[in-house]
Amino acid sequence: MKKILALTLAALMLLSVTACGAAKKDDVLEPAEAEAEATEAPAEEDATEAPATEEAETTEEPAEEEAEEPAEEDAAEAEEPAADDAADADSDLAYVQDKGTLVVGITEFEPMDYKDEDGNWIGFDADMAKAFAESLGVEAEFVEIDWDNKELELKNKSIDVVWNGMTLTDEVTTAMECSNAYCNNAQTVILPADVAGDYETAEDMADLVFAVEVGSAGKEQVEALGYEFTEVQTQADALLQVKAGTADAAVIDLLMAAAMVGEGTSYDDLINTVNLNSEEYGVGFRKGSDLADALNDFFAESYADGSMEEIAETYGVQASLIEQK
Amino acid sequence: MQLMLQQFPIVVHALNVGFLQTLKLFLVTGLGAIPLGLVIAFGSMSRFKPLSLFTRLVVWIVRGTPLMIQLLIIYYFPGMVLGHNVWGSGETGRFLASAIAFIFNYACYFSEIYRGGIQSVPVGQQEAGLVLGMTKGQIFYKVTLLQVIKRIVPPMSNEIITLVKDTALARIIALQEIIWAGQSFLKGSHGIAGALWPLFFTAVYYLIFNGIVTVALGRLEKRLDYFR
Repeated sequence: MKKILALTLAALMLLSVTACGAAKKDDVLEPAEAEAEATEAPAEEDATEAPATEEAETTEEPAEEEAEEPAEEDAAEAEEPAADDAADADSDLAYVQDKGTLVVGITEFEPMDYKDEDGNWIGFDADMAKAFAESLGVEAEFVEIDWDNKELELKNKSIDVVWNGMTLTDEVTTAMECSNAYCNNAQTVILPADVAGDYETAEDMADLVFAVEVGSAGKEQVEALGYEFTEVQTQADALLQVKAGTADAAVIDLLMAAAMVGEGTSYDDLINTVNLNSEEYGVGFRKGSDLADALNDFFAESYADGSMEEIAETYGVQASLIEQK
Repeated sequence: MQLMLQQFPIVVHALNVGFLQTLKLFLVTGLGAIPLGLVIAFGSMSRFKPLSLFTRLVVWIVRGTPLMIQLLIIYYFPGMVLGHNVWGSGETGRFLASAIAFIFNYACYFSEIYRGGIQSVPVGQQEAGLVLGMTKGQIFYKVTLLQVIKRIVPPMSNEIITLVKDTALARIIALQEIIWAGQSFLKGSHGIAGALWPLFFTAVYYLIFNGIVTVALGRLEKRLDYFR
């Protein structure tokens, strides 16, 4: 029994050490390592039948300290690279060129980023991202992300840029380094087609309950109007609320509404009505990144030579394109 | 209806791809958590107090916090706080992070089931074994474990079925499992936008797979129906 115990503990230690090797250090794995460290000595003592519980307890304490120390070191380490980043302001462009890929964080969103039948990413944003990556001499890699976690993904360096028809709101511009606006959009109210006639202006809608995407530009609009609303996970969920009758109306992006409601969709009994505002799409990078300036230059160039408009026409968004200088 | 029939093959193909991820996560978690749970169970039953207290503390933390938060911490902590993202950006890293979170989480639940199973075997049997001159190892493998496996099958089945469905939580770090695949048709994917039914259709996958799991575990239980 003791042999098994000693063996299993050794195995646990190995496991947690390898786990930590892979994960560096994080909250959940840290205790595991500490556990392994704390148990190593006692396990050996058990095996040799040494009745030294006191000794074992003393080994327990240093083990805990050990576990704490590396954490502090890590914190220090974490600060250093951050300081490096700040000092070496050019690093983000260099970082991307160094690793040879520009990782683009997207969600599937026709006509900006979506998959063609062969599973390749296409769309106005996707094609522009590919062209931009090419101009930097790197390859574009597309990664689907959870839209709520886009700032996290940037900070985590699991993506380098958010390029997905992102509305430039105050929240977005404070959290990210944003490019110039490149596309016009609006927040539009979606209503069931049979009652849409009763609501011709935003003022008529005061008694409706709205469904909006959490943290979206649509939510800001409804909030500003002071109307009652429920926050849901995605814009698609907001439509689902209206369809299911759990909300009276939804507010979503105009460009998206064009693809998502009306004939040929599950929402053929919904239509888009009043536009609450007009707004602009931009591209977001890590705060302080020099890639934003590089992209602005690229936008200006490709607008001047007409290639940007050409791509826009492919996806039918040329009317919304904003002039780039 | 006509439209749905047209969409059906495309949707099923996309859902299959998603379900493969679900299945992979399920299998990896099962294979990792079942043995790891036993190790943790031994830890929490250890007669060496600091070890058992520590193990129980870990089990308390892991069982006491939402798996969703654990996923977020495991995936985002290294890159954000330690300044070095060990997971990379692609699917592989997301899968690895999910697998580690799930294995650790489920191992902690399993360990408590094992502990209950092991402690449910009367001490008298161990004493009888000792009297007969069996070693502790022999007693554990030939007397205790035999009965433990049989007894823990029903509670383990419960956890395993829950695990099948819990894999959906991994979508929080954008692991593209079946729910993600179903949901993508709401917004537009593979040329289909605003389609609601694929999301609900994913339930059929879970239902069928859990049916298979239930039957398999039921058979296992029957085969283990020795003694009495």
